[in-house]
Amino acid sequence: MRIVITGSTGYIGSHLTDLALQRGFDVVAASRQKPESSAVLWLSYDLSSADAVVLPDDTVAVLHLAANLPHDISISDEQEQFSANKLIKSAQAVGARFIFISSQTANPDAPTAYGRIKWRIEQDVLAAGGWVVRPGQVYGGRERGLFGTLVDTVRRLPVLPAFLPSPNVQPIHVDDLAQCLLSIAVGADTRPRVWCLAASEPVSFTRFLRAIASDRVRRFRLPFPIPVMAIQAMASILGPQWMARIGMARLSSLFDLPVMETASDLQRMGLTLRPLRSGMHRSGNGRRRQLAEEGLSLLTYVLRERPKASVIRHYVRIIEQLRDGVPLGLPTWIIGLPVMLVLLDDRAYAESARGAEFAWRLEAATVLAEATPQGARRFLDRKPGALRALVGMSYPVFAEIFWRALRIPCKPFLWRYMHESWGCQ
Amino acid sequence: MPVKPEFDVVIVGSGPSGISAAFPLVESGLSVLLVDGGRQATLSPPSHAFLESRRQDADQWKWMIGEGFHALQNRDAVSPKLRVPVHGYVFEGFATVNRIEPQSFVAVGSLAAGGLSNAWGCGVARLSKAEMSAYPFSAADIEGSYRAVAQRMGVSGGQADELSEYFGLDEYSQPPIRMDALHTDLYDRYKKHRLALGKNGFRLGRSRVAVLSRDLNGRKACDLLENCLWGCHRRAMYSAFDELPALQRHGNFHYESGFVVEGIARNENGWLVEGQRGSQERRSVSARKVMLAAGTLATTRLALQTLKLHQPIPLLSCPTAAFLLWLPRLTGFQRTGAFGLGQLSYAVDIKDGISAFGSTFATTGIMVSEFVRHLPMSRRYGIDLLGVLLSSCLVGNVFLPGHLTLAKAALAANGSLTVSGSYSDQVPCLMVEVGKKLRKAYFRMGAVLMPMSFTVGMPGGDIHYAGTLPMRIAPELGETDTFGELHGAEGMYVVDAACLPELSEKSHTLTIMANADRIAHYVANTMKSHT
Repeated sequence: MRIVITGSTGYIGSHLTDLALQRGFDVVAASRQKPESSAVLWLSYDLSSADAVVLPDDTVAVLHLAANLPHDISISDEQEQFSANKLIKSAQAVGARFIFISSQTANPDAPTAYGRIKWRIEQDVLAAGGWVVRPGQVYGGRERGLFGTLVDTVRRLPVLPAFLPSPNVQPIHVDDLAQCLLSIAVGADTRPRVWCLAASEPVSFTRFLRAIASDRVRRFRLPFPIPVMAIQAMASILGPQWMARIGMARLSSLFDLPVMETASDLQRMGLTLRPLRSGMHRSGNGRRRQLAEEGLSLLTYVLRERPKASVIRHYVRIIEQLRDGVPLGLPTWIIGLPVMLVLLDDRAYAESARGAEFAWRLEAATVLAEATPQGARRFLDRKPGALRALVGMSYPVFAEIFWRALRIPCKPFLWRYMHESWGCQ
Repeated sequence: MPVKPEFDVVIVGSGPSGISAAFPLVESGLSVLLVDGGRQATLSPPSHAFLESRRQDADQWKWMIGEGFHALQNRDAVSPKLRVPVHGYVFEGFATVNRIEPQSFVAVGSLAAGGLSNAWGCGVARLSKAEMSAYPFSAADIEGSYRAVAQRMGVSGGQADELSEYFGLDEYSQPPIRMDALHTDLYDRYKKHRLALGKNGFRLGRSRVAVLSRDLNGRKACDLLENCLWGCHRRAMYSAFDELPALQRHGNFHYESGFVVEGIARNENGWLVEGQRGSQERRSVSARKVMLAAGTLATTRLALQTLKLHQPIPLLSCPTAAFLLWLPRLTGFQRTGAFGLGQLSYAVDIKDGISAFGSTFATTGIMVSEFVRHLPMSRRYGIDLLGVLLSSCLVGNVFLPGHLTLAKAALAANGSLTVSGSYSDQVPCLMVEVGKKLRKAYFRMGAVLMPMSFTVGMPGGDIHYAGTLPMRIAPELGETDTFGELHGAEGMYVVDAACLPELSEKSHTLTIMANADRIAHYVANTMKSHT
């Protein structure tokens, strides 16, 4: 089956092309530059060109991803819309479906030109019986597009910008999105409609950046609060041109993103999105690594020293074989400082569903840790002597009292955090 | 012309009662078929000293947790023993295959060759005359059987002490296995306060256990490696499985392992025992007599199914509790290898003629995690604390008489056996009383029963099920006669704990075995005299 992809060399386009080839599609790359890969046919396509596009007769779908990004002022909004309409006609000429990849920001009154032009094209596509896809915050895979910019920023900045109040984003992994696009291209659904594809639960932009830091860049970044008002003030002083020039234009569009209702579309698509932290990993599936980190943390908490690698592997196997295999989503500061687990190691917490799972895993880690020579030292062997023993028995009692006191103020925040991070690791 | 039955007797189950019934029958020349669920050990028990393997064996998780993570899969089981990978085969599949449906009751049984004795605490005791008052025969009638069985299995712990009479086994017993320092200290203190404690109804003595202190019949004496919980590589702990070779030396003894009996039907000159052999093959054998020794729960189902009796019948089971005992004088004591089963036992009168029995154990052979999980502290500091504390601690258990559990077994319309029950209203009060008495007694011996450690077990958690088909002088439907013959099913004998009319707080395995031996002698004699 032949599909035509515009913008196939872009961020989403390149992932979509890879997946389509992998699934056995004949891919026609419609782009300005000839793609390097010989696996795809090339069709010259330029947003600024007025020439008609002739598509191969056997094309079943056209996926229109090309957009004027980074913004080229020589291409007007009208031209972008004109180019899209031209493509719609070409698709209609060969009886192919037309799928337009729009944006979550698409809106007639969007603060950015980007959002407004997307909305206008959407109207044309729907009128012509095509499909519109509005992805949320696309992330993962190659570091390109807005995602690439964000990763680059996190990598370079010594701190993590934490906007106050934090805007929310609805992430979707680029490969999950590509899979959806292919499903729409060849799916049974014939009714034109707008697909909203992203995580149904928004996450704060700060958490999104933190996931980039911990799972992509793999560096600790201290959050640095930036009031949104300050940015808005800067925007009104500098003006839109300057904001665009320093790359803040797209960022500012984040601040008033409408929440998309995506649950029903995801369900219709039959797709479970991969968890954020899992998708953020270079491999696109960081679940195992996170389980290993979780195991390392729990085992270190129990053993008071780093466990042998084999024990961590056993932990991962246990969670995969006996539990659901999904990481708990412990915060990075707990992963890095296992003693902090004492804040969650609490009978009251174990009453909740999440807490019960945590308690089960901690029990498993305890048993695993004990059944090692390291564990024998920790659990069984102590230097003899009554005085030493008395000290050895008083210390944990005082430590327990100290942590219990500390647990009281931490409890509401930590429990809430753990509740929210469920499933969006 | 009726076809001659294939066997004189078919025994269902190769646990302690089945094996004990088999010996007299086989020795009298009758042709005997013994069948069992056929599960056998797939893992070998550890062969090095517990502490040594713990410190050095990088693969210790294989026998402590299991390659399929057995210990974690059975995390909620009532006893640490049920989490030991080596013993996995002993308990596996029992409830499903034998169609036992527990309802808020712990129902454990075995499909293993040798039955539950492959993983037991080895406690042995003889019933006193008073304790046998509900039995339809006199103490003298079972005396010889106690002797024969005790000598065959090998018991140790005999010495002249306050519990000599209570256990009543010293004349057949091997000397006690060496006590560890904690128990020695406790016992020395007891001897000083013996009289005062006796006045309060508390008596202490060596535990009598079915563990060898001297080699016997190819089994080796205990070498104090402390692997009792994890499996004994010397076979010092009695398992009925180890007696199979002695039976197999007789030509008239036949053994079919992996034959799960599903139903027993009467035929023209005896019984037809039907079941599943392996996963596919149907199998049926005929015999003049059948002996049910499948363990109380499975036996009860087979008996009720034969009688087509669906009304609920009472089930005896001992209420239990456990506690932690701290010997402050030995704080900071360094662990050494020790015997891992009961070392000292106590008997204590509670009130109204009810008494409790229990033993104390070293803690070293048990995973510290088993204690940490019950401690109201975070893991990290709990391990810190117990790592120091447990070396000067013992664990103890408590058993109360079996009539204090109000349990019922009933054959459901679909043929499965439902087992349900709870403790009687007296139990909470009695447990408080036992706790108080033990705390006082041990305090006198310089030991502290740790606050909040006294924990009452789940109904059925004792795994001492008995009395569903009790022996009576004049049995009615659902009861058995003096020789365990099921009323309304002539030639079908109940030889396991199901036929005990009463269950005391004492360990009951030896009594089950002696009673099976007694019944088998009687059956052998009557069958011989008929031919």
